[in-house]
Amino acid sequence: MYGWTGNILRINLTDRTHKVEHFDEEFARKWVGGRGFALKILWDELKPGIDPLGPENKLIVTVGPIAGIPAPNTGKTVVAAKSPLTGGYADGNLGTRVTEQMRKAGYDLIIIEGKSAQPVYLYIEDDKIQYLPADEIWGKGTYDTHDWLYKKYGKGAGVLSIGQGGENLNLYSMVRSLEGRAGGRPGIGAVMGSKKLKAIVIKGSKPIPVADPEGMRKLGLEDLRKVGEIDKKTGWSIQGTTGVLAWCNEVAALPVHNMRKTHHPDAWKIDGERLNNARVATYGCPNCTMRCGITILDHEGHESELDYENIGMLGSNLDIFELDQVASLNYLCDDYGLDTISAGAVLAFYADAIEQGAIKGDFRFGDAEMAKKLLGMAARREGEVGNLLADGTLRMARKIGHGSEAYAMQVKGLEISAYNCKFIPGMALAFGTSPIGAHHKESWVITFELKQTARDSYGPEKAAKVIELQRIRGGLFEFIVACRFPWIELGWELEHYVEYFNKTTGLNWTLNDFWKVADRIYALMKFFWVREFPFWDRTRDYPPMIWFDPKNADTDGPIAGKYLELDKYNQLLDHYYQQRGWDKRGIPTRKTAEALDLSQEADQVEKFTKLE
Amino acid sequence: MSGSNIKITVKLIGPFINQLGFSEKTMEFPAGATVETVLSSLPLDPRRPRIVTRNGQAVASGEKLGDGDRLAISPLYSGG
Ligand code: SF4
Repeated sequence: MYGWTGNILRINLTDRTHKVEHFDEEFARKWVGGRGFALKILWDELKPGIDPLGPENKLIVTVGPIAGIPAPNTGKTVVAAKSPLTGGYADGNLGTRVTEQMRKAGYDLIIIEGKSAQPVYLYIEDDKIQYLPADEIWGKGTYDTHDWLYKKYGKGAGVLSIGQGGENLNLYSMVRSLEGRAGGRPGIGAVMGSKKLKAIVIKGSKPIPVADPEGMRKLGLEDLRKVGEIDKKTGWSIQGTTGVLAWCNEVAALPVHNMRKTHHPDAWKIDGERLNNARVATYGCPNCTMRCGITILDHEGHESELDYENIGMLGSNLDIFELDQVASLNYLCDDYGLDTISAGAVLAFYADAIEQGAIKGDFRFGDAEMAKKLLGMAARREGEVGNLLADGTLRMARKIGHGSEAYAMQVKGLEISAYNCKFIPGMALAFGTSPIGAHHKESWVITFELKQTARDSYGPEKAAKVIELQRIRGGLFEFIVACRFPWIELGWELEHYVEYFNKTTGLNWTLNDFWKVADRIYALMKFFWVREFPFWDRTRDYPPMIWFDPKNADTDGPIAGKYLELDKYNQLLDHYYQQRGWDKRGIPTRKTAEALDLSQEADQVEKFTKLE
Repeated sequence: MSGSNIKITVKLIGPFINQLGFSEKTMEFPAGATVETVLSSLPLDPRRPRIVTRNGQAVASGEKLGDGDRLAISPLYSGG
């Protein structure tokens, strides 16, 4: 078998034991890697209903067959677990040196079980596994933690860590890697914290098994150069993802004031142009020639690396339009190890609930200094307010009451990324059907929707496009494990990835083979949710109710008076379910499951819910 | 406004700013100008995929512009 090492490293933190297990080619072909591997392991090994923060939950660190080899943008690793935030399947990818080091150490998958009695970090060097005391770094932010570990193991080591957020079980804490990189939005950091695992350090020295090593090396290096050239020619990385802010402001899709507004006259103050002008450094993931990590100095003088989600959620959504203050909030999230999207949504929801009179408090939109304090309280779960804020918007709304759930901007418990879909039905569907809760990474359909369809259409073409993008973004790129940006932003064709995959594995796949794996994974992710929530119905695929409220419509600008219509959104959901072969509840039918080779999984899910 | 000219505010997004050397400016065009009139007056690479909006709504290139319209020209972002 080429492409995969076939090795699984299983570590138990309770009794500090480990063993190496093996998977065969059938498993590899069926699930490919990354999200596919993580999902299948969690499906097979987690008992439904377990406490995500208990020792029974498992933390998965995994890569895909092309991960880590020198080719366009293969520096990503997937982290996954059952989410403490949503109760469903959760994963995220992040750029890290762990990718290459883990493959060189000889593993495609690391499964971390149990719970350590004391704070520890793991040191993995090829076959050597050490459980080391984390006393000196427990309680520290991720920047100090990384510095401490780099001093010990060198900058080339792969490092994943958590900050105070993960340690204190903040439900939207993430796993941090290099500089501004982080992954695992739905609380994977808290899962790590619940296991008292502060960090994982990996070093490897073995060759990665590639079917055609010379051919792949030549091709990969040449393509890295070409992608870099296209980036230079198009200028994409001048603003990277942050260019989107000015566009969202033009088309009324910007999150402002807890997404109650869609545009703002001061948005230009925090846009990609201003950010690029303030740039002091640029960072990126390994194996990348289009680095997008624009870094500026924050209000306190720290380096802070920002992308669009950061400036949208910690800036405009909080009515904060001072770029250095937005950078400060972003720096704090990175240091505490909190998800910037959820953190921005949580603070905005809190300010909104206070403004609506649903809860008493002294935080107001636009108050950057208070926002900084609140982030610290949420990361440390300090006092009543810190504990409230650490639980995410859905739990907050349920505690606060007074109808606030309508404006808790989340789907399935995960906060919505920085696209305000007050009047963008297709993108609302993309958030509604995203398999880990609302996330833009699965299907970003806005430009297609605005350019090639009528904005107010709820037709099957929008559902089809959402599915097409989910197959590519949430499927292919999450299971071969590579950054999607060369394809989505520079037009680097998908066929290149087929070539990398085939040269690495020695197989002869086409894109159609990938789409089948993608559909299989989407179906099993849905089964995972249904097994956890057996009375599943389509309302779990709804966006927040405020988007359907005529009183919430904009009073000025491009979409004045417009809002989403619930009966039409239901039609759109029907199109989506029908095209996927799912029933009206949004659950894959038995026929669909069987066509995707999921008969056994369908049998299991039927213990909880009858399939159609 | 001179004669029967109309004023259009052109807003560039992302790398177009660096390529064309401005971020936003108000330009004059003859009455009856279309989106295409504005686009062809700018040194943009026509092969580069882009999305053009007028006052926040996507427009086709043949559409006529009115005095005071705001035209935003953006590369076709794919949303991070
Ligand atoms: S484009 Fe950005 S996110 Fe993708 S690999 Fe490069 S630096 Fe990382």
